[in-house]
Amino acid sequence: MAPIELLIELTLMPLIAFIVGMMMVLMMRRIAAKIQRRIGPPFFQPLYDIVKLHGKRTQVSHGLIHDIGIVMAMGGYIAAETLLPVPGMDGIAEKGGLITLLYLMMIPSLGLALGVGQCANPNGSIGIARALTAMLAYDIPLVIVIFGVAYAAGTTNLVEIIATQQAGGFATWGVIEMPLLAIAGLIAMHASLGKQPFEIYIAPAEIATGPMVEMSGKYLGGLFVMQCFQLYTTSVLYVSLFLGGGTTWFDFLIKSFLVLAIPVSIAYLFPRYRTEDLLRLMWKWPVMLGLIGLAFVM
Amino acid sequence: MVMSRIQKIPVVEEKKGNPLARVFDDLVRFCRSRSLFILHYCTGCGAIELPPAMTSRFDMERLGIQPMVSPRQADILLITGYVSIKTLKRVILTYEQMGSPKYVVGICSCTVNGGMYWQSYATAKKLDEYMPVDLYIAGCMPRPEAVISGLQKLMDRIKSGEADSWQDYYQNYDYYLGNQQKLFGEDWQTPTDIITEAKHYELMGEGTLGEHTRLLEQHQNPLEALEMRLGHNIKEPIE
Ligand code: SF4
Repeated sequence: MAPIELLIELTLMPLIAFIVGMMMVLMMRRIAAKIQRRIGPPFFQPLYDIVKLHGKRTQVSHGLIHDIGIVMAMGGYIAAETLLPVPGMDGIAEKGGLITLLYLMMIPSLGLALGVGQCANPNGSIGIARALTAMLAYDIPLVIVIFGVAYAAGTTNLVEIIATQQAGGFATWGVIEMPLLAIAGLIAMHASLGKQPFEIYIAPAEIATGPMVEMSGKYLGGLFVMQCFQLYTTSVLYVSLFLGGGTTWFDFLIKSFLVLAIPVSIAYLFPRYRTEDLLRLMWKWPVMLGLIGLAFVM
Repeated sequence: MVMSRIQKIPVVEEKKGNPLARVFDDLVRFCRSRSLFILHYCTGCGAIELPPAMTSRFDMERLGIQPMVSPRQADILLITGYVSIKTLKRVILTYEQMGSPKYVVGICSCTVNGGMYWQSYATAKKLDEYMPVDLYIAGCMPRPEAVISGLQKLMDRIKSGEADSWQDYYQNYDYYLGNQQKLFGEDWQTPTDIITEAKHYELMGEGTLGEHTRLLEQHQNPLEALEMRLGHNIKEPIE
């Protein structure tokens, strides 16, 4: 591939991810509104929020690490987008592989931990401690699921995994071949989104949005951007692993929005767990399902 | 009369002939008006009208108005009722921590003139003596429709760029500080250094410095970063 072509892909992929991600945020808020019998925000609301936050006059920074932390939180996901194949564009997915992707998806939480640490706000510290605990909880089933899929496919190359699923048609989709892993993956994905019942680290009523408590202006705006990327990355990863990726943009987007709609609609029906309950739940059910699924694959 | 005191900040004349020069400013102003995060500091009985305004019945989110939990994230400070003197201290701390542009909305008659607490020794009567108020919604208490239509007025003013009374706090800090000192005593100090902030963002006005700020400087403890220590009380809370 010509370097210039690659360069275009590497810029386009995060950009598309951002736009799709904003629509996912919109969908999330609309679903929440529908469940609560409200009308919900207007179409461009996520964009208004982000522009407004970046356009604030006073921007309160708590120091250099605070700035870097936010950049890491966004940058981890932006790098992850280039490893996620979308219809017509592979980026550097072939060279990166699943394991790199998994690593990159952990960077945002670590960046956030750095940034929040400098804010010296007790609510923020509690929030970030919980966020890292939650990461510990959902990463174990996630790793089992990803290992299972990679083992079944015989490769960690996402492009190949998608290609085999598309070549074999619907019957070879991950969700048909490995249903247990797919269910475990869905639960892990839900937890990694940090939505209720797994919303232990945002918890507005208890620790005042945890990591976000001291963020204002463009720092909060950066986190809003990060949320767009987060929704996109998790749902597209799931679609690539279990739903055969997308042959065209149309079915790709439909699949990713549908996948995301499942945890989001569950989220707004439930209150949340406590930290230790989350840990117990995540290490029991999805891990058990994942291990049984893994045994079937082996 | 808050609005008349604001001095226009001299704008550097932009090059003529570029029709796109103002587009970005307009876009930001529009987005500001369509995305308002409110911090509802529920001081008095008026707070009871906010849940219906926010939830299914009237749904403020369709106007882009969302509740937020910490002052750093918020754009609007809603004062929903009478403010006792002790509460006012917290309100001022909260107000100063919010990122500009910020707007204060006084809901209820009690914030306008003390309302039925006029004779009380423990309440602050007029909110706009202590911080610039963008909008009052009178009533005891105003219905959610009134709250929403008031916020829509605020949105129009933000869109047209009129709602800039947050600058007044920087430009006439001396006046506000004076009123605060009258109420809380001469050693009143908040953790936010407004004068330095005004200098940094070039918002100094004729009224920023004065006799009251001189008084503040005499006893002001320099602001230091909090020490991170376990098992030890951080300094006593401001009282
Ligand atoms: S105006 Fe009436 S409802 Fe509002 S705070 Fe005062 S007494 Fe309460």
